[in-house]
Amino acid sequence: MASKEKEFAQLIKDNQGLIIKVSRLYTNSLEDEEDLFQEIVLQLWRSYGSFKGNSKISTWMYRVALNTAITLFRKKSKSLPTNELDINHADFIEDDDEKQQQVSLLYTVIKTLPNVERAIVMMYLDDLPYKDIAENLGITEVNARVKMNRLKKILKEKMEKYA
Amino acid sequence: MPDFDLDSFKKTWQEQPVQEKYDNSEILEMLNKKSRNYVKYIFWISVAEFVFFSVLGLFYVIQGKESNSFMSILEKLGARKTTELEGSLDNIYVVLKIMSLSITAYFVYKFYQNYKKIRIEENLKKLILKIIEFKKTVNAFILINILLLIAFTSVFTVFIFYVLNTQHIEVTNSTLTGFIIGIIISTALAILLIWLYYKLVYGIIMRKLDKNLKQLKDIDSQEF
Repeated sequence: MASKEKEFAQLIKDNQGLIIKVSRLYTNSLEDEEDLFQEIVLQLWRSYGSFKGNSKISTWMYRVALNTAITLFRKKSKSLPTNELDINHADFIEDDDEKQQQVSLLYTVIKTLPNVERAIVMMYLDDLPYKDIAENLGITEVNARVKMNRLKKILKEKMEKYA
Repeated sequence: MPDFDLDSFKKTWQEQPVQEKYDNSEILEMLNKKSRNYVKYIFWISVAEFVFFSVLGLFYVIQGKESNSFMSILEKLGARKTTELEGSLDNIYVVLKIMSLSITAYFVYKFYQNYKKIRIEENLKKLILKIIEFKKTVNAFILINILLLIAFTSVFTVFIFYVLNTQHIEVTNSTLTGFIIGIIISTALAILLIWLYYKLVYGIIMRKLDKNLKQLKDIDSQEF
């Protein structure tokens, strides 16, 4: 087996958390989540050859993963209507860990946002600098900041309402 | 959850236990799977259309069925079947067919070029714009197909009147009205079917992109 493939597989294995998070945020069922995961891996493999290390591996992975989820993935990733929050919330109430419950609720709340806004929040939560967030989406850094400040307020309201 | 603060939640988010789902061999297996992204679908559908119409066209050229059925319309209107008439009909038919196939071939080439230009590692806005450019080629293809249909029908209709005129055939008003209404209805029906087909195949999958692009543009035009 080519060493490039092995190297790539290891890279994905080490960073699969990022792809799982993107897949989870842009789908509404486990089957779709797995489909999206595979599509992202394929797209990463296609662009792996042209990845020259000019940006950080995580920024490149984010870019490809989000681009795939938002533009190329066939399945619909509609924003959840707010009235679905209770139903989805009930699914993870069983979780013993309080922190995990909060994370799950945050996932559900983020899913109520439109596609691009979901991407901004996710990159922000994973500590990507505004410069990278803006660059990945093709918007200005100032606009990314303004948008994120608004999103913080929206998320705070929703989290406090549905907790 | 009183006083939820996204910034202080960052750590919890980053430390969330994400269960490793796949091992190296499963990841390598994924590389052999085919991509299921819909831009690729659009490209392959357009190639399939080209192959289908080319084969169908060649089949009719070899069999000469289409010009035969057209000849029978002429005969019903009272025209005499002559070798000269059959010859010119065949010529018109072959010219139109070659024209139609060349245009489709040109579009398949354009589809391929635009498809190749789509690079996943570009920023989201550029990527969407590239896909929209790809969509514009698809739209032009649809429009040209409809225009070709209208052009072909017009050429054949003009040819019918030319034949009737050169053979000095008088057609009754009712036959003429029936013939014209028939042509209009069948052309309109064909246009409707083509339009519905393309709306169904390409329209649904492109709507999502327009929505995302609009959102990006909205973010960029926000007032501070």
